[in-house]
Amino acid sequence: MTLIMVVDDDQDLAEMLGIVLTSSGFDVDLVSRGDEVLEVFRNNPPDLVLLDVMLPGIDGIEVCRLIRNESMVPIVMLSAKGETQDIVRGLEAGADDYMQKPFRDKAELVARIRTRLRRTNSDVTGLLTIGDLTIDVTAHEVRRGTSVIQLTRLEFDLLVALAKDPGRVFSRDTLLSEVWGYRQTTDTRLVNVHVQRLRSKIEHDAEHPEIVMTVRGVGYKAGGTA
Amino acid sequence: MRGIRHALQHSLATRVILSTVLLSLGVVWLTGSALYSRLADGILSTSLSSSLAESRYTFFNAEYQMLVSRGMSVAERKRVLAEFVVNTSTQGINEERREVIFMKTPSAKSNVNSYEMSSNIIRSTSIPEDLRVKVQKDSKIQYGYAVATYNNGAAVDSLFVGQKISIPTGGRYEMYIVFSLKSQSATMDLIKNSLLLTGIALMLLIGLITGLVVRQVVRPVRDAARVANQFTQGDYSQRMKVESVDEMASLANSYNEMAQSIEQQITRLEHLSRVQQRFVSDVTHELRTPLTTLRMASEVIHNQRESFDPLVARSSELLVAQLDRFERLLEDLLEVSRFDAEVAILEPVDFDIITLIKRCAKDFDIASDVASPEIKVESERSAVAIKADIRRVERIMRNLLSNALDHSEGKPVVVTVVATESEVGIGVRDYGSGLDESALIRVFDRFWRADPSRARVRGGTGLGLSIALEDARLHNGELDAWGRPGLGAHFVLTLPLRAGDSINARPIKVTPRDFPQETFSL
Repeated sequence: MTLIMVVDDDQDLAEMLGIVLTSSGFDVDLVSRGDEVLEVFRNNPPDLVLLDVMLPGIDGIEVCRLIRNESMVPIVMLSAKGETQDIVRGLEAGADDYMQKPFRDKAELVARIRTRLRRTNSDVTGLLTIGDLTIDVTAHEVRRGTSVIQLTRLEFDLLVALAKDPGRVFSRDTLLSEVWGYRQTTDTRLVNVHVQRLRSKIEHDAEHPEIVMTVRGVGYKAGGTA
Repeated sequence: MRGIRHALQHSLATRVILSTVLLSLGVVWLTGSALYSRLADGILSTSLSSSLAESRYTFFNAEYQMLVSRGMSVAERKRVLAEFVVNTSTQGINEERREVIFMKTPSAKSNVNSYEMSSNIIRSTSIPEDLRVKVQKDSKIQYGYAVATYNNGAAVDSLFVGQKISIPTGGRYEMYIVFSLKSQSATMDLIKNSLLLTGIALMLLIGLITGLVVRQVVRPVRDAARVANQFTQGDYSQRMKVESVDEMASLANSYNEMAQSIEQQITRLEHLSRVQQRFVSDVTHELRTPLTTLRMASEVIHNQRESFDPLVARSSELLVAQLDRFERLLEDLLEVSRFDAEVAILEPVDFDIITLIKRCAKDFDIASDVASPEIKVESERSAVAIKADIRRVERIMRNLLSNALDHSEGKPVVVTVVATESEVGIGVRDYGSGLDESALIRVFDRFWRADPSRARVRGGTGLGLSIALEDARLHNGELDAWGRPGLGAHFVLTLPLRAGDSINARPIKVTPRDFPQETFSL
């Protein structure tokens, strides 16, 4: 069974999320305080974390950073404020995706969770090279020479999406649909923040990227094999 | 000329320096002239007394010579006289020449022998007439100042000293000695030039000193003006420097107190506004979490409605629908409060507006469960790239389309797109119930509805058009409305191709093309 950790200080919402997720076939672990998350997380590692931004104890963004320090588990932030800076801060702290309260419907929530749990790019197998990186899609591993670079599943998916077709320019909308599984959204901040995070891990100099290149006014492409 | 006038009007320093210099020019001129005339008088009177003493001796000598010549012949006497003239007029190297003139007194009875003679080539006419009269009337030595003219045309300031003299066989004559005042006038010229030079130097110095002094006064004034200017531009921390205890310091203190008070007021208002924003944000957060729970709960119930009795099933449908509406209202209210607090942020990206419009139109087609009128998109170009906040532009389009569909009465809605070099116009035209004059004025007002009795098909919040207008203006764009009762309405969105640029024209006129007569529009 897939275990989902729901972190929200609102007991009723947490319970309701529990009901919805259980009825969709997930196991649910409810946590209501930010400072309890890590302990529960270590004792019973979940497959995905649903994390509210506003939490008693430690706030959600800090919790996100702490989890990210020790795990590459997918994290979906739940935000009630919806202000740009909160979303960007959450994404920068390591969240893969965010959902704004109130959710459109239950189906949207479940769909997001399934997308994050699904292994994308299942059509690609074997080894890809881009720049001086080697991507082992099957083993889910990125190496520069002999050293392994730790990427979250989402960052890995983003890199594979770009690297499987080097030189092709991907618009932000295309990436949103290929990597995040959004059919229609106009929020390109997700892509921008994740590209920045990916670059900070894989580029020699994130200011002058050589692997994930920006195509001004269009989107991104993977640099040619060097 | 204009430059000087400008400087006079705009610079206190220039004005003060100029008036000081002009006033001191008057004073220097007066004292200079007085000094000069005193000096000139002194010099002349010194030379006069020595000249008179010398003249007295010369006249006496001449009278003696004439006395001695009583027994001589006329020719001999003339020779003696000539010799006397030559001796008298010839002086040492360092002395100025003096001239001697003998003139016959006109009233004397005419004589055979004329002894009129003069040294050098001085014209006897240069002797002033009034001096001659005085000499003829009085036996004492007389003198006067005049210009001596020489035959070669030279004119020299001179002292004329004259006395009666009688020449044997010649009758009464007048004898004049002409002392050149060349050296005196040279001295006076020197004094005059020195005075002039001193005056000019004094003027320059006074100008310079005034300039320095005025600068001392004007500099704090200029500083004050600069500080006040920066304050006006929003730097409320600017204060004037207090470096002394004079009038400027008291001005600076008063100003600083005023600035302090204004800054406090602004801080207080900013604080209030922050509290207000914080409150709205908190309220929204607090409302959103229970709303999320409600929505999910209502959905769980709604999904089970098959097993309910019809009344409960319908109730669950109403519950879901009203929660939707509640949520939209909450979002719109939050957006309005962001505009009011002026914290709405533009996040421009590059995109094709035609794709966006077509997608919005398609979504309406899919989303509505009632039969929806057709939306036609007309554009000469297949793509128009713009840089704008796509979320806001999409919201404007959805609001305009939703509004048009609500009032279309089943007739098609036409969207036209016209782009120019710098802006893009998007017209949304419906042929439905339309708007009258009074409605046009209020169409962008919050919670205003064209016809309160009309059914709310799409469940708009009443804030859509007002948010659309704010969204357009945030881009430096504009949203115009046109309408005629029964003939439909036309909303025209004009956006700069790059968000933040200004719009110079309306690519689409608000009066629709299919309505040629110009009517009232907003």
